[in-house]
Amino acid sequence: MMERMIEKFYKSLAKGKIYGTKCKKCKEFTFPPKAGCKKCGAHKMEWKTISGDGTLHFFSSGNLPPMKFAKYHPYAYGAVELKEGPVFFTQIEGVDVSNVEAIEEQNMQMPMPVKAKVKKMAGMNIVVFKVVKSQAKKKSKRKSKK
Amino acid sequence: MAHVGNLKEKPVITGVGCTKFGSVLETPEIKGLAFQELACEAAFEAMDEAGVDPKDIDAFYIGSMVSHISHLYSHNTQMADWLGLHLKPGVHFATACATTNTGLGLAAMDVASGKYRNVLVLGCEILSSTATDDPTKRKALDPSQLWYWTDFGVDQAYAYHHSYDIATAYGGLPTLGYAKKHKVPMEKMDEAMFNVHKNVRLHGSKNKKAFVTTTLQQEAKKAGFKDAWGFWQSRKNPYLAWPTRVKSALNTVDGASAMVVSSKKEAKKNFKKDPIEVAGFHWSSSNYPWYGADPTYWEIDDTAFKAAMKMAKIKAKDVGYLDVHDCMQIYQLIESEICGYFKKGEAWKAFIEGRTTYKGDKPMNTSGGRHAKGHAFAASAGAEIYEAVKQMRGEAKGRQIKDEPEVSMVHNHGYGMHSAVTVLKR
Repeated sequence: MMERMIEKFYKSLAKGKIYGTKCKKCKEFTFPPKAGCKKCGAHKMEWKTISGDGTLHFFSSGNLPPMKFAKYHPYAYGAVELKEGPVFFTQIEGVDVSNVEAIEEQNMQMPMPVKAKVKKMAGMNIVVFKVVKSQAKKKSKRKSKK
Repeated sequence: MAHVGNLKEKPVITGVGCTKFGSVLETPEIKGLAFQELACEAAFEAMDEAGVDPKDIDAFYIGSMVSHISHLYSHNTQMADWLGLHLKPGVHFATACATTNTGLGLAAMDVASGKYRNVLVLGCEILSSTATDDPTKRKALDPSQLWYWTDFGVDQAYAYHHSYDIATAYGGLPTLGYAKKHKVPMEKMDEAMFNVHKNVRLHGSKNKKAFVTTTLQQEAKKAGFKDAWGFWQSRKNPYLAWPTRVKSALNTVDGASAMVVSSKKEAKKNFKKDPIEVAGFHWSSSNYPWYGADPTYWEIDDTAFKAAMKMAKIKAKDVGYLDVHDCMQIYQLIESEICGYFKKGEAWKAFIEGRTTYKGDKPMNTSGGRHAKGHAFAASAGAEIYEAVKQMRGEAKGRQIKDEPEVSMVHNHGYGMHSAVTVLKR
């Protein structure tokens, strides 16, 4: 019988563990967990927790949020490249989406380090990423000196 | 590189049909039509043009995406007698917004195999309103409900539940990514998107079957603006997800499209015009996310373009007309560069210079795209094939490309995400 992978992923979040899967054949990391490897197609995967470290490349905020997340609007949604390789899209904390000038200014400072956290939203635990403040500030200062 | 097989004999398109795109609640040309009737209008036009009687159609595919709205599944069974195809083999299928592009390839393989001589491909979608328990009445559809059902197409295991935001993922970040990658200042990027939209509206204004038939300049004037650029940057055109504005996105509509795919032998028998050859096609599938750290590179599209062009034995420089999926108009830039129609980083300048209009040297999306022509999910790709065929035959009245293209390429995204590319030759 197939393993209940989706259930394991979400149940593990409640315990603070964020799982991905790693291909036993080619070692490619997949996040979130899947039964097959995106790179080589193999079906032998092992569970691995992610480090939680990532790089935020872009973010913005849309005016067409899904019904489920409409009550959280406006929120930042961005593309995070995990230290392990995969790119994951989710909600971003620690950035300002109150006006387009702020969104533009912050995007011009990208890429920026972020850290994964588990957050309860719309009745379930999900993975979001938060900007690592100290490093983001240093980066901003370096940029402004140029 | 994907495996690229080929067909022993390339089938041809002998007939195309397309309804007016609009709302069955309001648009005079299609007002009050039910799904069955809308579908028949496009199918009959295609069969008439192909010069085939329904008895000569050996099989049919019917595509439609949102069953929650149509209150239909197994569409082929319910449509067989309406189409005059009682007892003929029919299949209901969908690859979302790419459906009728994919259907053309399926039909081509059927004909090339020798199993069938003529195959009808039909797409129909009504998005303005839902069916009710009374077949003569429809109920206006709340857009948030439509998008709830539409998002069933996006990774329901994980991505949707991680605050999935279509406007940012599909519009905002690719636009921002394009500007950053090619070092286009954001103001200039906005100007490029303004010019893409001006083209969209120019083409729509010359297409009687389009949903929006006014130019941007006409709309600006009506709204009290001296010029279209001021209107574009005004509150009348807010951000959907910065830097993507509302007018850079699709309009959902109702409509149907159809085509008849035949063997060359059958075409000679019935068809009086020059048939259009289905020279190459390929499809590629990917779960979310559709791109990585570079939002301007889509591996699924690169895969589909390369394989379709290889099958057709053409290079990008051979393409005389390109139609790309433009639910978000940024894809007119991104996809035209992925396939090589423009060099990397050059498309934005080409739009500002007006090279992509029907009068330009690199024409694109001359039907008005998914904003002006409108987007009727499963029917839209067929409407874009319809446009390519009309351009190649010199029948695109009012928006005809000066030199009828010898080779056309049509690309579509099926949410989310299926990439379909078809190459046509005359």
